[in-house]
Amino acid sequence: MKNLFIKSLAISLALFTVGLANASGLLIKNARIIDGSERDASQLTDILVKGSIIVGLGSGLSAPENGRVIDANGRPVSPGFFNADTQLGILELGSVADTVDSSTSNRNITASLQVSDAFNPSSVAVAYNRSLGISHSLIQPNNGVGIFAGSAAVVKLSESDNVVIKNAAMVVSLGQTGSDLAGGSRAAAMSLLREAIEDARDYANNKDSVARGNRRAYSLSRHDLEALVAVVQRRQPLLVRVERAADIERVLEFAKSQKITVILSGASEGWRVARKIAMAKVPVIVDPINNLPSSYETLGSRLDNALLLHQAGVKLMFTGMGWQNTHNAYLVRQSAGNAVANGLPYNVAIQAITSNPAQIFGLPGYGQIKVGAEATLVLWSGDPLEVMSNPDLVLIDGQEQSLQSRATRLRDRYYRWATE
Amino acid sequence: MKKIELLPKWCFQILLIMILSGCVSIPSVTIPVTNGSSSSASPFASTYSAPESSATIIRGATVLTGTGKQLDSTDILFSNGKITALGLQLDAPDGVVEINGAGLWVTPGIIDVHSHMGVYSNPSVRAHSDGNEAVAPATAKVWAEHSVWPQDPNFEKALAGGVTTVQILPGSANLFGGRGVTLKNVPSVTMMGMKFPGAPHSLKMACGENPKRVYGDKGGPATRMGNMAAYRTSWIAATAYHKAWSEYEKTVANGGKIADAPDRDLEMETLRGVLKGEIKIHNHCYRADEMANMIELSKEFGYKITAFHHAVEAYKIAPLLSENDICAVVWADWWGFKQEAYDMIRENAALIELAKGCAIIHSDDEIQIQRLPQEVGKAMAAANRMGMNLSPAQVIKWVTSNSAKSIGLGDRIGSIKNGMNADVVLWSGNPLSVYSKANKVWIDGALRFDRSAPEHNHTSDFNLGIITPVGDRP
Repeated sequence: MKNLFIKSLAISLALFTVGLANASGLLIKNARIIDGSERDASQLTDILVKGSIIVGLGSGLSAPENGRVIDANGRPVSPGFFNADTQLGILELGSVADTVDSSTSNRNITASLQVSDAFNPSSVAVAYNRSLGISHSLIQPNNGVGIFAGSAAVVKLSESDNVVIKNAAMVVSLGQTGSDLAGGSRAAAMSLLREAIEDARDYANNKDSVARGNRRAYSLSRHDLEALVAVVQRRQPLLVRVERAADIERVLEFAKSQKITVILSGASEGWRVARKIAMAKVPVIVDPINNLPSSYETLGSRLDNALLLHQAGVKLMFTGMGWQNTHNAYLVRQSAGNAVANGLPYNVAIQAITSNPAQIFGLPGYGQIKVGAEATLVLWSGDPLEVMSNPDLVLIDGQEQSLQSRATRLRDRYYRWATE
Repeated sequence: MKKIELLPKWCFQILLIMILSGCVSIPSVTIPVTNGSSSSASPFASTYSAPESSATIIRGATVLTGTGKQLDSTDILFSNGKITALGLQLDAPDGVVEINGAGLWVTPGIIDVHSHMGVYSNPSVRAHSDGNEAVAPATAKVWAEHSVWPQDPNFEKALAGGVTTVQILPGSANLFGGRGVTLKNVPSVTMMGMKFPGAPHSLKMACGENPKRVYGDKGGPATRMGNMAAYRTSWIAATAYHKAWSEYEKTVANGGKIADAPDRDLEMETLRGVLKGEIKIHNHCYRADEMANMIELSKEFGYKITAFHHAVEAYKIAPLLSENDICAVVWADWWGFKQEAYDMIRENAALIELAKGCAIIHSDDEIQIQRLPQEVGKAMAAANRMGMNLSPAQVIKWVTSNSAKSIGLGDRIGSIKNGMNADVVLWSGNPLSVYSKANKVWIDGALRFDRSAPEHNHTSDFNLGIITPVGDRP
């Protein structure tokens, strides 16, 4: 009984320590700061954290009273990384339907599906990717029966207060997926999109007569239209999944004529229309690792797509790596590293997984290492884009996160058995 | 009806491509053209032969031999398709091609023992879905090589990632998926032109979720116990078939009375090949307990399992696999796509290594196959964080010599030593790094990929003029 008490006391103390905010301060000395801004690579910086905020940056900062000091010894410190397309917390096991909340087959719920309603911060994939350096993600719904998949959310991989932006973007699939959902023909998908946007506008302008039942029938349910109002009023971007160059051009024209804000996702052939995308100031989510003609709409996919888009002036966000973008969301840094190997400037790759999504979705405290910013930081064993590096310390809002996960618990059990 | 009318035109086009390919001279690449038939005793035999190539020496590179060694500032010489010398400041024969390897790294050609290139080709349209004969749970009779489309544009991307040899397997829908084939990653109009001469066939088997999901409402198996019963039923039949044919062959060999030959059965022929030890079992299996059951099954019927593929839980039975000389063919980090892939750890390959077993990293994926050494790098880094002390020299065998052993080619490929096939990759840096790329790739001493001369690198027929009339796929 007594033993049990001591054991549970020890466990709660341990939990407490890991979750502890740096109330009395944490000083990370001699860090090489990597946050996508131009810096002298040889310059080592001290980072002082108090509570959830970075309160000091410089050299020779003195340790806070009763605070912790960690010597980075030249190791890099970056913001926690951002993966711009995952199903973290809304999908536990891909083929186990009970655990999949990323899509619905309900006909009346397309645009109105908000994945933030289903977000589960206790998913083992959340803890796993957090321990490996991901602090934020745009979690995206997948299509059910309509071309609109629903609202994507920005989440922070912390234990609480984790839905940062509930309705960050409205996801719509055009191209081949849109064609399948529209009953064949990508033109049919465009037609559905046009009709939905017109209906949403009409609905927004005539809510009273809709409520009185005096309005014509609409193509979508009331809730779906309600969800699209933010898009037609430009309060929420339309995130368009599209791959082929010609399809991208159609989307740009449509967005311009309808005065709606768009983000492109996929964009395998983006390089072919990169200047038009840049001129429209449309940001793009790509996985730089994709270089195969996996379908007839990705014939032009290539390893330097990210580079060519960047050179044309397009703002990039990254996802990856490959189809393991949820369970191994942290490998977005491997995709980013391969983009660098294929010519993308290093800092541009870092921006694509930190400050760019912060800017595009409006996360003022996140994405750069500066005084006053959130202390959402990762101390790395080496270059964070190198596959052989790993996190040595993960902070979210100044709170130290456990580097343990279900995977390391399994590892430790069997390693112990093998070495005892 | 329409399809039948079109057939002659289609045949003509294929013929035209074959003729053209034979006439056009492509500097660093040889395309064997074959009539597709073979007069040899075994049907579908390889028609591959290594093209003529000049002797080559790479000087002063860092060499990972694939046998556990790292040799710094070392020269490697190959001629007539074989590695002929390895050492410091070697004398080079006249006319040798000299390559400065200073600052560069050399490995054996990378081997992927689990690929579906050619059987699930890109674009991945239904018409290219040729990897699962998912009409019955036991189809040991089908051969993956009969599905291979040599123009799959994935092959050349894998070559650019240093992959010189691939084992192409059927999918995992079926308990017995069919025979796998080992190919050299060379351009060819026919499958036979890629086939690795003398490589044994494999038989793909699959445990667990996939077969029971595919056949659960098509007459079964619907459960894991159903899977086991169905394997045993097939092996009982195969044992009887093996006995009947062995008796017949013995009678004929002894010059006795000419006996009536038993009827041939393609399904049973493959299983008999396994029982005779001629065909290697490559068994898709995720869970530790199921792998243990499969080992029991193999002992019941007297066959050998060469490798468990995917083997997400191999680390839980590492000593058992080691004792039974079974390779664990794993990903560095894939997980979570189904229940049986939940218990992944990044140290899986490392714990196999710790148990002195045979660890192999595979791709099963046309993106991953382009950078298998990076997968090795991730697995090594995770292992060292756990407390092991693995080096690139040790772990490169996870995609070279261990892989070669599992497909019965350990005496020809997968390591850099005298007499081995000159399958060699020259890397821009440490191959395990995200920043390194294959600069040059030789197969049997012939340069097949050269990053510095893209105009000489072969591209699939599929890619020609497909972006614009004069613009090929990049």
